[in-house]
Amino acid sequence: MNAPPVQATTVLEARGLTRRFGGLVAVNDVSFSVREGEIFGLIGPNGAGKTTLFNLMTGLTPPSAGTLSYRGTRVTGLAPHRVAALGLSRTFQNIRLFRALSALENVKIAQHVRTGAGLWAGVFGTARAEEARVEERAWALLDLVGLADRAGELAANFSYGDQRRLEIARALATEPRVLLLDEPAAGMNTAEKAALTSFIREVRDRFDLTVLVIEHHVPLVMNLCDRVAVLNFGELIAVGDPASVQRDPKVIEAYLGGE
Amino acid sequence: MADFLAQYGFLIVTLVQAGLLGLSLYFPLQAGQLSLASPGFYAVGGYVAAILLTNPAYAGLRETLGQGVFPLTWLAAALLCGVLGLVVGVPALRLRGIYLALATIAFVEILRVVSLNLEVTGGAVGIFGIPQAFGFGERWQYIFLFGPLLVLTLLFARQLERSRVGRAFRAIREDELAADAMGVPPTRYKVLAFVIGAVLAGVVGAMSAPFLNTWNARQGSFDASIAILAFVLIGGSRNIWGPVVGGALLTAIPELLRFLADWRLVINGLVLVVASLYLPQGIVGALERWRRRPPPRRPVPAPSPAELRGGRRTP
Amino acid sequence: MELSQLVQNLLNGLAIGSVYAIFALGYTLVFSILGIINFAHGAVFTLGAYFTYTLVVGQFENNGLLRGVNLFPQGSPFAGSPWTFALATLIGAVVAGLIAVLIERLAFRPMRARGAEPLLALVSSLGVALVIVNLIQLLVGAEIYNFPANAYGEVRPALSFQLGERVVIIRTVQLIIFAVSLVMLAVLGYVIGRTRVGKALRAVAESPGTASLLGISVDRFILITFFLSGVLGGLAGTLVGTAFGVAGPYFGVTYGLKGLAVIVLGGLGSIPGAVVGGLVIGLAEAFVPGDYSAYKDAVAFALLFAILLVRPQGLLGRTQIQKV
Repeated sequence: MNAPPVQATTVLEARGLTRRFGGLVAVNDVSFSVREGEIFGLIGPNGAGKTTLFNLMTGLTPPSAGTLSYRGTRVTGLAPHRVAALGLSRTFQNIRLFRALSALENVKIAQHVRTGAGLWAGVFGTARAEEARVEERAWALLDLVGLADRAGELAANFSYGDQRRLEIARALATEPRVLLLDEPAAGMNTAEKAALTSFIREVRDRFDLTVLVIEHHVPLVMNLCDRVAVLNFGELIAVGDPASVQRDPKVIEAYLGGE
Repeated sequence: MADFLAQYGFLIVTLVQAGLLGLSLYFPLQAGQLSLASPGFYAVGGYVAAILLTNPAYAGLRETLGQGVFPLTWLAAALLCGVLGLVVGVPALRLRGIYLALATIAFVEILRVVSLNLEVTGGAVGIFGIPQAFGFGERWQYIFLFGPLLVLTLLFARQLERSRVGRAFRAIREDELAADAMGVPPTRYKVLAFVIGAVLAGVVGAMSAPFLNTWNARQGSFDASIAILAFVLIGGSRNIWGPVVGGALLTAIPELLRFLADWRLVINGLVLVVASLYLPQGIVGALERWRRRPPPRRPVPAPSPAELRGGRRTP
Repeated sequence: MELSQLVQNLLNGLAIGSVYAIFALGYTLVFSILGIINFAHGAVFTLGAYFTYTLVVGQFENNGLLRGVNLFPQGSPFAGSPWTFALATLIGAVVAGLIAVLIERLAFRPMRARGAEPLLALVSSLGVALVIVNLIQLLVGAEIYNFPANAYGEVRPALSFQLGERVVIIRTVQLIIFAVSLVMLAVLGYVIGRTRVGKALRAVAESPGTASLLGISVDRFILITFFLSGVLGGLAGTLVGTAFGVAGPYFGVTYGLKGLAVIVLGGLGSIPGAVVGGLVIGLAEAFVPGDYSAYKDAVAFALLFAILLVRPQGLLGRTQIQKV
């Protein structure tokens, strides 16, 4: 679809990101940059450090060394909710919806950073206009992921694929500029996977987003991503367009050696 | 009627008071924080009122304000407990689950031992001869204080639940880490929920000191912590009516069992065990299952797609 | 501080600290397996003391339904010699252990079977504690019962020795407490570290699911854990009761709370932690200067609060890495 312009600006810049857990180096000196508007894939065998890298990027895990900056603003060192306020939003590999709350409420909660009603505004009901806007956007986002007719159901009751979609809607509710998707296709059936590619593109275009995707399913990555980075044992072994990465001998070895 | 009030007036006020204390624990629980600190703040609030109402140092103040001194005690208790809640809450709320519960038990015990030993709190004897609020001649008249406070608190809680802050509380209760990642700052809201509970418990204490006439270190004890927790869990911890129903019922049961004489406290213990076993969602939780919630109604008009992005643009 | 004072405080602290340790181990055993705090543990402690008192004295003359009942009109066979007293203590502890087993069967197991919220176990265990405490009050009243001076025969009440200017005094009871606690710790260490039961217990504590796959009956080992926990609690109750009197039905409440401080200080679920925590709190209390002795009961909780803020996992606990 819309390939990003060649001279796109860099939005995310990782420099030497490293994370050690005890003696284990989960992410080792990883540097890369992501351009505005692209869909950037992150692949690698199990345990390569992909999710840890996402955690470093969203403030859930502090890095042992290195930095990440978003349009020149330093992201590493910020608490997760500040990272969200800055415009980076994510989904989780093991889906972390607010399970005992309704789909609608999940999406409403995530608008927190873009709203401002305090305790007393809430208690005295003086933030009506803001509440109405939150409500409307929540419904519209559920529409987008096709769950509006089940808005009142608890998140826990949705199928795997629907939960993944709801999590994307929730992430979009924070009005991100960068969307980080951690294995969005995991647990989806073939038809859902096929629909996912066009859905992610549609979302990217509609919201002017930059998207990072961790994915296991190689055909999906090759189809979807503008560029791909390959992680193996915590180290970045290749970055480039899908076709050339796929031919890279180091990548082939990592995958064959891994299985 | 007069007979009824004379006989049951004290009990009725106590039921309402128990419901309020239950609510004071319910607020932090809304944000997923198991705090057992309520009796500590309740005791502090009571001491504030008792000291302002009896200590010779404040004789001039009482002279000037007349009956106005009573609202002042509530305000003072609310303020002090709010500040104390902030001071204790900020470090303590870094703890999770049972650790927070234990830290708050420690807080209550430390306050108890300190109040046993301070001169201003009357040491082990406590403070007695606390004047009746607004010259109330009978105990049941305190319903005119606790009743409105309960109504206001329930309204407050209901409004809070429907608001942005209430949603932030629930998000943290469900999954603190995900809430953080979705832009809800957990520490701020956990402390807020804790302070709301502290202020409420403090005001209830300040109203209770004249009601009970005396105030001592027994008011804030570990037993009270667990009793209040039982109000909330047995009433139902997911609905504002839970703590009220639980508090009233668990306070009423020993009275209803009066015919059992000495056995009633034994039976009271059994009630806790049986209720934990058979009403794991609490009484209100069990009742709620029978009521189906209507699906949320979509507001009209439907938004145009352009609004989806929200108002914010790339800097 | 003078040397003699230092030694005296140290001895006092070790004696009471060792009781705290074995009592707190009862909490720890249950916590390490079920992940819950058994608030009835303080009541079991109280029961242990009352059982031993019943065997040694045989009557509660002051108050309650049992007033006027005398179990041993000819005089108790357990009184008057250190060995019979020890036997009474042992029986008291075992009965306390059996009561703990009963508590598990009646209050905890049904909750697990229903998959109830763990928080509710706090309430139900407190309900059990209320039943026990009020039953005691109903049966024997709220008075303090002191063991008669010759309950364990003609034994020197204290040892003393000169140190510098002053005399250091060790009450015989303190020595006994310390010795019994050490023996209990050694026995427990052996059971957990060396026997099949102990290995299974550790397996269940690590992961109940895996353990049951390996053919270990989880419910049976939970019962054994409660039994051990009750024995430790009951024994601690008798030891404290012997030293300071059986101070009414509520006498376990204070110890119950201090026990919480001990296990948090040492690290929830850590067995060496409970021992270290007990000794630290015992010593800290013993070193509170006389002028501030009224604040002694706050020491344990101040330590609890402080350690939670500085090192929430406790002195010997392990940090848990949260998986995202």
